[in-house]
Amino acid sequence: MLKRKSTLAGIALLAGAALGLTACGGSPSASSSSAGAGASGDGITVYNAQHEALTKSWADEFTKETGIKVTLRNGEDPELANQIIQEGAASPADVFLTENSPSMTQVENAGLFADIDKDTQDQVPAAYRPSTNKWTGIAARSTVLVYNKDKVKESELPKSLMDLSQDQYKGKWAASPSGADFQAIVSAMLELKGEQATSDWLKAMKNNSKAYKGNSTAMKAVNAGEVDMAVIYHYYYFGDQAKTGENSKNIGMHYFKNQDPGAFVSVSGGGVLKSSKHAAEAQQFLKFITGKKGQEVLENGSSYEYPIASEVPANAKLTPLKDLQAPTVDAAKLNSPKVIDLMTQAGLL
Amino acid sequence: MSTTLDRDAQRVRAGRGSHPGRPSGVPGLTIIATLVALISLMPLGYVAYMTVATGWDTAVALIFRPRVMELLSNTFWLVVCTVPACLVLGVAAAWLVERTGLRGRRLWGALLAAPLAVPAFVNSYAWVSAIPSMAGLSSGVLIATLSYFPLVYIPAAATLARLDPAIEQSAASLGLGPWAVFFRVVLPQLRIALTGGGLLVSLHLLAEYGAFAMIRFDTFTTAIMEQFRSTFNGQAGNMLASVLVLGCLLLLLAEVRSRGNARYARIGSGVQSSPSILPLRWYQLPSQLFLLALTALALFFPLWFVIRWMVVGGPAIWNLSEYLPALTQTLGYGLAGAAVTTAAAFPLAFLAVRKPSWFSKTLELANYVTSSMPGIVVGLAFVTVAIRLTPALYQTNTVLVIAYALLFMPRALVNLRAGLAQAPKQLDEAAQALGVSPFRAFLRVTLPLSAPAVASGAALVFLAITNELTATLLLSPNGTNTLATYFWSYSTSIDYASAAPYAFTLILLSAPMTYLLLQQSKKAVGQ
Amino acid sequence: MTGPSPSRLPAPAVSPAIDPSTDSHLFLEAVTKNFGSQAVLKGIDLSVTRGGTTAIVGPSGSGKTTLLRIIAGFEAPTTGRVSLSGEAVAGPDGWVPAHKRSIGYVAQDGALFPHLTVGQNIAFSLGHIPRARRKERVAELMTMVRLDPDYAKRRPHQLSGGQQQRVALARALAHEPQLMLLDEPFSALDAGLRVATRRAIAEVLKEAGVTTILVTHDQAEALSFADQVAIMRDGNLAQVGNPFVVYTRPADRATAEFLGDAVILDAWMEGSLATCALGAIPVRRPPVQGEVVIMLRPEQIRIAEDGPIRGTVLDTVYFGPETTVRLLLPDAGETISVRHWNAAIARPGTELRLRVVGEAVAFPKG
Repeated sequence: MLKRKSTLAGIALLAGAALGLTACGGSPSASSSSAGAGASGDGITVYNAQHEALTKSWADEFTKETGIKVTLRNGEDPELANQIIQEGAASPADVFLTENSPSMTQVENAGLFADIDKDTQDQVPAAYRPSTNKWTGIAARSTVLVYNKDKVKESELPKSLMDLSQDQYKGKWAASPSGADFQAIVSAMLELKGEQATSDWLKAMKNNSKAYKGNSTAMKAVNAGEVDMAVIYHYYYFGDQAKTGENSKNIGMHYFKNQDPGAFVSVSGGGVLKSSKHAAEAQQFLKFITGKKGQEVLENGSSYEYPIASEVPANAKLTPLKDLQAPTVDAAKLNSPKVIDLMTQAGLL
Repeated sequence: MSTTLDRDAQRVRAGRGSHPGRPSGVPGLTIIATLVALISLMPLGYVAYMTVATGWDTAVALIFRPRVMELLSNTFWLVVCTVPACLVLGVAAAWLVERTGLRGRRLWGALLAAPLAVPAFVNSYAWVSAIPSMAGLSSGVLIATLSYFPLVYIPAAATLARLDPAIEQSAASLGLGPWAVFFRVVLPQLRIALTGGGLLVSLHLLAEYGAFAMIRFDTFTTAIMEQFRSTFNGQAGNMLASVLVLGCLLLLLAEVRSRGNARYARIGSGVQSSPSILPLRWYQLPSQLFLLALTALALFFPLWFVIRWMVVGGPAIWNLSEYLPALTQTLGYGLAGAAVTTAAAFPLAFLAVRKPSWFSKTLELANYVTSSMPGIVVGLAFVTVAIRLTPALYQTNTVLVIAYALLFMPRALVNLRAGLAQAPKQLDEAAQALGVSPFRAFLRVTLPLSAPAVASGAALVFLAITNELTATLLLSPNGTNTLATYFWSYSTSIDYASAAPYAFTLILLSAPMTYLLLQQSKKAVGQ
Repeated sequence: MTGPSPSRLPAPAVSPAIDPSTDSHLFLEAVTKNFGSQAVLKGIDLSVTRGGTTAIVGPSGSGKTTLLRIIAGFEAPTTGRVSLSGEAVAGPDGWVPAHKRSIGYVAQDGALFPHLTVGQNIAFSLGHIPRARRKERVAELMTMVRLDPDYAKRRPHQLSGGQQQRVALARALAHEPQLMLLDEPFSALDAGLRVATRRAIAEVLKEAGVTTILVTHDQAEALSFADQVAIMRDGNLAQVGNPFVVYTRPADRATAEFLGDAVILDAWMEGSLATCALGAIPVRRPPVQGEVVIMLRPEQIRIAEDGPIRGTVLDTVYFGPETTVRLLLPDAGETISVRHWNAAIARPGTELRLRVVGEAVAFPKG
């Protein structure tokens, strides 16, 4: 009898728990998650495609300073951009942060961004924000070709990113085609070289390259000698060097420079959603991360991305931005959906 | 056979309300069960709708392209290599444990089921962190085989333990040698276990995301996830999903056809003697070594690496401000999902056991079909439908819990059916004849009798939810993380050490599931 | 072994008299039941006297269990009417569910609740009476069904099949039903236990004065248990009447053969005499004249030294108390079976003299 009663009690408990949980489900993110209260309460919801650790340190600093709680939803640039577009006016997001600008443009074109506050605009040089001021740059990163120093001589390195489509590089290089980073690089190529050249290059890439999931995995593979080279962003190397260096000890860094598509410097963006019910706090957040304190997180933190605003210099270990001879690309013209179409056609996605 | 439908029709003809509590109707239950079945068909409906909405030309362009062929070939070879490997390993291990004089049979019996406690993506993590160059089909087959062969081993062992030895003895008396007896008598009787296990392995192969993403092996599920990452719910991803769903349906059909009407019940009465045991003699050592190698690779290897990374990481990896909320969140989802799933499965199970008809079979089939849908498809369907149709539910725990319920309904159904079979209709009727109303009879008789089975079904659902990754990634509300999503986010940024505590907790939580599955399969065969 | 003299037989009840007399407890009127397109009951009329015992007997698939389930209220009839004590419980005007019909029901396997003890099973419907009184009542009921009250603490599976059935009966009696329904309650028991349990249960029910309906496929059980037997075939009641009448004066050949061994012979009917291989045999109320078949029970054919009919023993089957003897009637060339207690007198080839006792029943031929 007793045993059976306890079973029944267990079922009752289960049902009760379920009711409680689903009842709470009425409001998004009612969980006791560390990130804080849900969007329906005080605080802001950030759709974050930037590195989680970086945004988390921004959010923590911001909360410390203002008392405004920040809830993160993490994802990839285009994933979250498309999600925001689908959600439309009902989007729970207040702020959208990306690693690369094409997704910013996509949301801007959908007419979902509010204007950036004047205070924020004033902190960011015009080169790192669109003339529309619907969003702002928050950081930057440079394309780089990492190579295994034991397997590749400097003289054998390609002169241009475009050269990687040649047969001599067949099976020798890697990338993370499903990542927004690489897709941003392709969007720069599309802007600089046109659709035909880009499409041809992507088709060659399908044959020539190895696909890894994520830039750090690709770099790790180069370091381990699985593959000779990989097209990634610069900060993965410095991040690893700052930790154990275990995954980058054999890595050499090759910047293409010469305004090559491979010298593309990608601007990470931030914007405030028109539909935000906490617009003031959201603007405050953008102002914070483009302000001195926020940019110093980039300079002194472990992200190794380039600060671009409030005259905060880059981490001393990095090659200064102005020395990278990056091509001039109008961020507003970087077309993310077109790139994904081309990559899908090439069989990379 | 009569159907609930025509009884309802009769009820309507007889006039509304004039027949309170008419025995054969159970209309409330039928309505609820129908609703559950309809909701469960939503993912399939979504895929079908999206395929039509995409338009013929676009759909053709997106489906008949080299990338899809590549994924098709990858997935095909994965299934074609892994399923037979699982069947051979599962049957060989089951035969050694159940039918030979293997030393330590009890211990081996438990150890061989134990790899199920290691989620496939944790297994993959262990291998990749040990051998970073692991990638592609061969690695996929290796990891999948090691992760999933217990899905064949468990039913095969349960069936072997229950096979009537008299049949084998009769075969032997007809002049068949031991090998001939095995292939001509024993193996055919394992058909249900093998087709069922094979189907389960195939569906896991089609649905698994984490394990294959980690070793850079592209299947439909990983490609859909990539499309999702790039386009949210774009057309290309939807078309991949429709091809994947088609594959799942074909597998279901293949299983149904190859199982046929096979029934291998013992005919006649009397007490069954215990099975004959083949002495191994000089095969003892090779057999022990074989099983040792198998369990070493499938169980001890991942365990070793999880523990190794925990040691390497030291106390620093136990970030309790992340770990504890994730644990609470995971347990909360598990409990809520288990309760909702069990409650939703109850009307279906009740109709299936008490009012079997083409109608209840159709309802069950609807659920069976949904259970073959990979988590990624269910997730994709729910994200889109919630945004468009029920914005109030969008990004809430409710949607995620409903998705869990659809994904894991069959686990609850199987157990509930067994439990209700323990409480036959006659007992309910006996109670009613004693002047107890049908509802009170249910509370006093059916519920207490089926409670143990209900509880074990709920536990299985609970544990499945704690391991779920794909649908959780798509559907979890803002700021919500589970053990599996933390594990995933750390292990994909190659922070293997920080992922280890989550992997370890997942294994700990899954261990009871293995035990429950073992028990359940023994009972299922016994009935 | 000898039947009473034919003249004392009541008239055969070919179709039951359908009038709801004042003491009619259960009354069924044109009850039909379809499962989908299959008609299981094709129009049942039946009246059961208060305090009486009725056996519904028929081969499996004849619809007898469905009929019982309709009486119990587990199923609703497709058409027709069921009344209990003059009140309609099923029919076009409404339907009363099982738990409001004041019935007792004992299923084939007892249907004891496995999660409850024997005592808890019996007390299942006694929730309304105080605890102490309940215990007393359980003990009373157990004594009534000849069960040791100490068994109250046991679990059902610890009892034998016969004991389980008695617990089921006690449980049903606790509810103080007006109508007791027994669904093949003895069929799961082995032969010896079956007879003893049947007798015990019949006595208990008689003492309690409860109207009882027994469903069974065993004609011997039906004949020995009930004071009214209803023979069911293909969804119809073939005959309803007291056991002696239906056995000795079956309504048709199929009923005759279902209820027991029968000697069937072609005969020529003239007046009230049927001429057949056994000579001229009296038939009461012959249905037709001329060509007929007649039915005799084997026990009506006696081996007697001075018998008028000759028969040659073909073979014998020994049953212990009796022997079935197969005889060739040389005059007519027909074979019949008779019974005798003494196996020794019948060796193959022996010629015996036979005598027919009582009346035969005649059926139209074909």
